[in-house]
Amino acid sequence: MSPRLLALWLKETIALLRDRHGLMALFIMPIIFILVMTMALRDAFTPGTTIDVAFVVVDLDQSAHSKSLIKRLDKAAAFHRNTGDNDPEAARQGILAGQLSLALILPKGFGERLLKPTGAEGQPTAPLQLLIDPTLSPALQLAFRSQVMAALGALRADELTQRAGKLFGLPTAAGSSEKDWPDEIRSSAVRNDLSAKLPSSVQQNVPAWLIFAMFFVVIPVSSIFIIERQQGTLQRLRAMGLPFRLILAGKLLPFFVVNQLQAVTMVLVGIFLVPLFGGEALEIPASLPLLLNWWAVSAAVSLAAVAWALLIASLAKTTEQATIIGGVGNVLMGAIGGIMVPKFVMPAVMQKLAAFSPMAWGLDGFHSVMLRHGSFADILPSLARLLVFATLTLSLAIWLNHRALVARS
Amino acid sequence: MLLIDGVSYRYRDALTPALQNISLNIPATGVYGLLGPNGAGKTTLISLLAGLLTAAVGQISLNGQPLAALRAANPGRIALVPQDYAFYPMLSISENLRFFAGALGLKKPELQTQIDYAISFARLEQVVGKRAEHLSGGLRRRLNLAIGLLGQPQLLLLDEPTVGVDPQSRHFLLDAIAALPATGTMVIYTSHYMEEIAAICQKVAIIDQGQVLLEGALEDILRSDGAVLELHLAAPLPEAIAQHYAAKEEGKLKYRLKLPSTAALPRLLDELLAAGCTVRDLNLGQHNLEQVFMQLTQRSLRD
Repeated sequence: MSPRLLALWLKETIALLRDRHGLMALFIMPIIFILVMTMALRDAFTPGTTIDVAFVVVDLDQSAHSKSLIKRLDKAAAFHRNTGDNDPEAARQGILAGQLSLALILPKGFGERLLKPTGAEGQPTAPLQLLIDPTLSPALQLAFRSQVMAALGALRADELTQRAGKLFGLPTAAGSSEKDWPDEIRSSAVRNDLSAKLPSSVQQNVPAWLIFAMFFVVIPVSSIFIIERQQGTLQRLRAMGLPFRLILAGKLLPFFVVNQLQAVTMVLVGIFLVPLFGGEALEIPASLPLLLNWWAVSAAVSLAAVAWALLIASLAKTTEQATIIGGVGNVLMGAIGGIMVPKFVMPAVMQKLAAFSPMAWGLDGFHSVMLRHGSFADILPSLARLLVFATLTLSLAIWLNHRALVARS
Repeated sequence: MLLIDGVSYRYRDALTPALQNISLNIPATGVYGLLGPNGAGKTTLISLLAGLLTAAVGQISLNGQPLAALRAANPGRIALVPQDYAFYPMLSISENLRFFAGALGLKKPELQTQIDYAISFARLEQVVGKRAEHLSGGLRRRLNLAIGLLGQPQLLLLDEPTVGVDPQSRHFLLDAIAALPATGTMVIYTSHYMEEIAAICQKVAIIDQGQVLLEGALEDILRSDGAVLELHLAAPLPEAIAQHYAAKEEGKLKYRLKLPSTAALPRLLDELLAAGCTVRDLNLGQHNLEQVFMQLTQRSLRD
């Protein structure tokens, strides 16, 4: 082992251990984000979970059909129904007061006209009315509408079946329309084996915030590098015959190790700490090849993050500049890369933009291993993109430093 | 001996060269002073010697061998102590010394020997565990110097090593630097403080606008420029005497005269007596470096 490289690694490690703000950004910040975001997004990742959106049904018909529809909506259990005054105005006031998000008004004659087409017999049919809190997300509005339409469709089908039975003199089982039918759609994640659990909030958030935290090495890397440049330490090291590439190598390994410590810490947080806060425990692949694949993604993300940090340190003239450029750059990469908000909730354009974020490449790699139990070939595209990014940014950092040296001479 | 032969250097995009055809013979013993105002070219010359810049024109050799080859063979032989506090503020003194010793490629047990020597030389024993960011200006300068001594350099380049220190620390640093040649280290010392150069250097080069204005032993430089007589008379100095001795009026009936040597004083006194002048006070002395520099450049060292 070269004593020069060893000295550089040791120096970098001690300097980082003394940088309390840098350590907080690297370890405390992601732990907080993992805990908060895992809790916040828990329901978004759990299929069939009750959505915390209240609705009322104003039944102006009070028929057997309207009651049956309400029972069907209750069975669906995705949204929860409040009972209240059976009055449209009270429902409107409830929405205005923020106590309700949705109110479904079943008009008088709803049951009678259930099987009559609109406008039949020259009588206009009063439509079902849905009152909506304008702040409710369009996706949830659509989900509720779909649920009502599904319940309505099932009700019509049952009614038609019963009438047809009567017409042909077939026996009809009492209350058959209110029987619990088995779920007609079952979700299952597609992966290479079927032993893993379904993706959950913790499996989105642990790798996502781990990647985000890894890229925050930009703070300690740039603060040490800029001190070295401003105080003439780099010049002194050059006068001692240390080539610049060795100085960079002296920074790469300590921060690579720090990134791997972050990875271990965040995984432990996902396994042990998140359940204490009511979340699901993180599940890490149990087989050695999958663990190695997981580590390969972690290593590639780390190389990309340290190289990016060295580029920012070379670009910035002061630590303040580095903090702003690096911080904003990281937040942007995180925002478009599906770190802060999962990619699937983004519009199509933003999802296309995510393809340009190194953080998204890292997240895809982690998800490929954790959710799809992907092979090395499956993570190769992510690894390749991250390593190309690392090579390009590192080369740019070296070129910028060389250019600065030439400009000073 | 360090031989600088016809070295010129021009920075990129600069209109004028920073150094023009510099030639110096720097003896292997003693402390050699490079004196000049800010921007004179001292730091450029030091950077060339330290290998931070490469001269397009001219040769630099130490004891007959090209300096670049010597540096490549053993980077520790030529050490630079820059103007800045070129170390890590978040590291302690011992951690800084350990790092720079390692950066020189030193291994145990030599590494520890060199660190102990540097600590002892710079008298840092009492504060060795203190972080550099908590040190006073004087202690920082001592640490800066100690780092420069780690490889037991053959040639030590000190670029304004006393800037911003208190008088006590400056005194310590100057004493320490003056003692270095006895340990076998050749020292080149740049400063724009002429009293520092005068205190520790045996040979001096005065540089301005990238050129050597004067080089030689300090005593010779001061002596070569003759003696200075400060006179306070009872009546104005006669014009003929004033012209002959290049007199300058420095107050009411106070004059500064330039004498070719101290031996010329009796003759001047005779002339004053003959002219009927009454001398109230007189002070005979040599020029100092500041005055020599001013005469050479018509500028102050601190311009």
